[in-house]
Amino acid sequence: MENGLDACDSKGILPDIHLTIKAVDPEKSDPKPYILTVKDNGPGIESKHVPLAFGTVLYGSKFGLKQARGMFGLGATMAILYGQITTNKPVTVKSSTDAKKSDEYELLLDIQKNKPVILKHKTKDVAKKGLSVSICLEGDYSKAGTKIRDYVYQTSLITPYASITFDDPKGEKYPYPRMINSMPKPPTIIRPHPYGTDVETIRRMMVESQFEIPTIDDAMIEKVRKDLGLAKKNFSFTAIMEKAKKRWKTLSRQVRVIIALMSFLKMDFEKLNKIRIEDIDVPNKKLFYWDFGDSTSKSVEMDPESQYYKQLTNTIQGETLTAFLTKKFQRVGPTTAVKFAEFAGFKPEKRLGTMTNQELAKLSDSLQKFDDFMGPDPSCLAPLGEEPLEKGMKKFFNPDFLTVIQRSASAYSGFPFVVEMGIAYGGDISTRGIKVYRFANRIPLLYDEGSDVVLKVINDIDWSRYKAKGDPPLVIVSHICSTRIPYKTAGKENVADRQEIERELKLAIQFMARKLSVFMNKRGQAEAAKKRANLYAKYVPLIAQFCTELAGKKKEPNFQKILQEEELIENE
Amino acid sequence: MSKNVESKKKAASKKALEKQKNILDMLKSHGAKIYDDLDSGQFPKFSIPSRSVSNIVYDKKLRQYILGNSTALRSSKNTSQLRSFTQLMWLAFFANRLTNEKKSSTLRDIYYSSQAFAIDFEDQSESDNIIVDLEAVTSRPREDFHIFPEERSSIFGDLNIEYTIPGYEGKTMNLSNHPDGYAIGPSLTTAELVDTSAEIVIAIEKGGLFTRFVEEQVDKKFKSIIINTGGQAPRSTRTLLKRLHDEMKLPVIILTDGDVYGEHIAMVIKSGSANAAHLRELTVPDAKWVGVWATDIEKYKLPTIPMTESDIKRCYDLQKDPRYLDGIWKKELEVFLRLKRKAELEAFSKYGLTNITDKYLPQKLELAKSL
Repeated sequence: MENGLDACDSKGILPDIHLTIKAVDPEKSDPKPYILTVKDNGPGIESKHVPLAFGTVLYGSKFGLKQARGMFGLGATMAILYGQITTNKPVTVKSSTDAKKSDEYELLLDIQKNKPVILKHKTKDVAKKGLSVSICLEGDYSKAGTKIRDYVYQTSLITPYASITFDDPKGEKYPYPRMINSMPKPPTIIRPHPYGTDVETIRRMMVESQFEIPTIDDAMIEKVRKDLGLAKKNFSFTAIMEKAKKRWKTLSRQVRVIIALMSFLKMDFEKLNKIRIEDIDVPNKKLFYWDFGDSTSKSVEMDPESQYYKQLTNTIQGETLTAFLTKKFQRVGPTTAVKFAEFAGFKPEKRLGTMTNQELAKLSDSLQKFDDFMGPDPSCLAPLGEEPLEKGMKKFFNPDFLTVIQRSASAYSGFPFVVEMGIAYGGDISTRGIKVYRFANRIPLLYDEGSDVVLKVINDIDWSRYKAKGDPPLVIVSHICSTRIPYKTAGKENVADRQEIERELKLAIQFMARKLSVFMNKRGQAEAAKKRANLYAKYVPLIAQFCTELAGKKKEPNFQKILQEEELIENE
Repeated sequence: MSKNVESKKKAASKKALEKQKNILDMLKSHGAKIYDDLDSGQFPKFSIPSRSVSNIVYDKKLRQYILGNSTALRSSKNTSQLRSFTQLMWLAFFANRLTNEKKSSTLRDIYYSSQAFAIDFEDQSESDNIIVDLEAVTSRPREDFHIFPEERSSIFGDLNIEYTIPGYEGKTMNLSNHPDGYAIGPSLTTAELVDTSAEIVIAIEKGGLFTRFVEEQVDKKFKSIIINTGGQAPRSTRTLLKRLHDEMKLPVIILTDGDVYGEHIAMVIKSGSANAAHLRELTVPDAKWVGVWATDIEKYKLPTIPMTESDIKRCYDLQKDPRYLDGIWKKELEVFLRLKRKAELEAFSKYGLTNITDKYLPQKLELAKSL
């Protein structure tokens, strides 16, 4: 289901998800085999990828830094595997990417080789795009039913733009129609934020940034020739060097590196093809290469004054610190980068490749401590948004009072996160006391409620201060979005109490609770006014009756005036 | 009937009528104000002397507790006061009817009568409280509105009275005709006090001793009027005591049990209670407590019973009362606290049933002259 929703989200398709659970043999008693089918209207998976996607463990595309429901692409395969272990039945996958043809596979997983075994493959004509996965697995619906229904219910609550239906084994249908027709903006993939970047991450980023010496093959030679605009016949060493000098600024980095190498080796491409560069020893200004002709290792001196020397060392030593920061991290500009270098005690032009391990540790350390980095870019996050959340909650609870808030993005250890919450009071809510629906990246968290940070924050609030005393019919929806939710346990059911997240949750709840208290006050006032009017209606005529006799009058005083005035005040 | 009696009857009747008219006029003016407020589209309101503890002060000149100057506003607009406001209006309305029709009613009657008017008093103490409100607003005791407590006190002695209540106007009575004594009720408190041969009033706390005093002809032997207060003297009894003192110029002496409660019964007759600080005319400042004192317990070697904890606490409470700061009041409290024992009036029976009238009373009467 989550995969289906993710797929639809990424393609901007309003999701239609059908979940069906059917008993293979309804007469048998639980636990027994069930067939679980999830059907979506997403983009489908290309036929050739289907066996790998569903027949191997850890086949996933989810490696970029953006928010998605699943993180590692384990969920579906694990379910398939579980089905295979308990019932030894294959998984059936039907996929159509073009709304014309559908590829239907029956697959088993070869666990030892982590490879799919295709039992059947046929093609059918269909009219709709989408993916359908059927797994046969053993389960106990009588026990798990509540959780499954909760899961569908809550998923629908946090995905108001999806239509979700669930047909359960008892023949009950749980339809959750689409409540809004606009999709939230899909998340974009972004660069990491400096906070929370450790030494290992920096090393990995350095490797990505360090430019390797290009392989010199025919295609590359052809590229160099074209870039320099030289004819094949006039492709000598001198011609190359002359032309390169003139056109240096227009040349690509790859070409520049090759030219630089050639300048020290003083070879044309013909000769170059017969050697292999072994090492560029920057401190000793030497260039080592292996000559295939006489099978010996040779070296040439490099002139440090040469512009080509600079080009080569740049390549070898990596980018300058400032370039590295501005290119590899989000929201770091040149000015900030220079300021940071000063803060960290590095020269701005210090090259990453020349840093010792200690220096790298110092760099990583300073990245955490520098205060002037901008907050993390939340564009990689996909909160639902205030309006859809509000609409969804309104449809679900039809409350007397509803408020939602989306806090601006914050970060914990470099991972951006956004907290969005809603509070609904009264109306169709029949539960007494505060009911909390927790979501993380649009996934309902159903288990292990007690130790969750959201619950902790909610329980720490003195609700009577906000006029919600006793057991108020209150629903709180909490949605934490992050590129990495800090789950406490591997089960991914409760969010750890990171201080930054706790703070955002608290501010969100306090903001909403203040609004709730205003509502409760008004409601209290309205009730009090009504009560007051009733009291007046009861007692004022009596006072009139008594004082009439007491004053020795015959006609009662016109007390209607004050009663009407009171009503006016009440109706205001 | 002689002309003299006839004119007296007329005078009495006139006086009673005047009083009734005063009361009715006052109630009417209160009612008219409320009526006008309502008629002009205003929530009616009135002010009432505050009866909170902070507003109850001891007036040394008057020798009683009185209400201070602070007043509270009762408004029908205030929903927390609306109910009691209406209840008070009803009570005024009901008192008006009682006074008009010259009928009397007990506190208990009031509580039940209210139920015919959708004025729901939760219990009698609530209705009693509203009655006190009416007293405070009008500065008149409830008896003026023909509202009386259940009676339990009685009077005996040579006193001629003349009734003023409807149906008995002008009828006279001598209060020594019936040896069980006469209940002190509305007809007695409103009666004219005509004449008496008595020279002193003896107020006694207990019915048993009252009967003994009548049997022993204390009225004749000591030229006295005997009054049984039945414990803490009711308002009507205190009113009568005051009238006997003021109108007939009779000194009043008080005999109580020898304990802290007895001492206070005497004090209330003398200078009123804090509960009735809104009313005057209920005290006999010159009344004298002659016994049984704590010092008498030792002097007369009376059989005693130990004081309870609440007796002792009561002693300490009274020590804070400004009226107990000097004289015998202070001294006796101290002795009670020292003895931690108390004695009842009946304790004298140890020395013979008539010991109290033969020995103790004469000594105390003699002593009273010097008090």
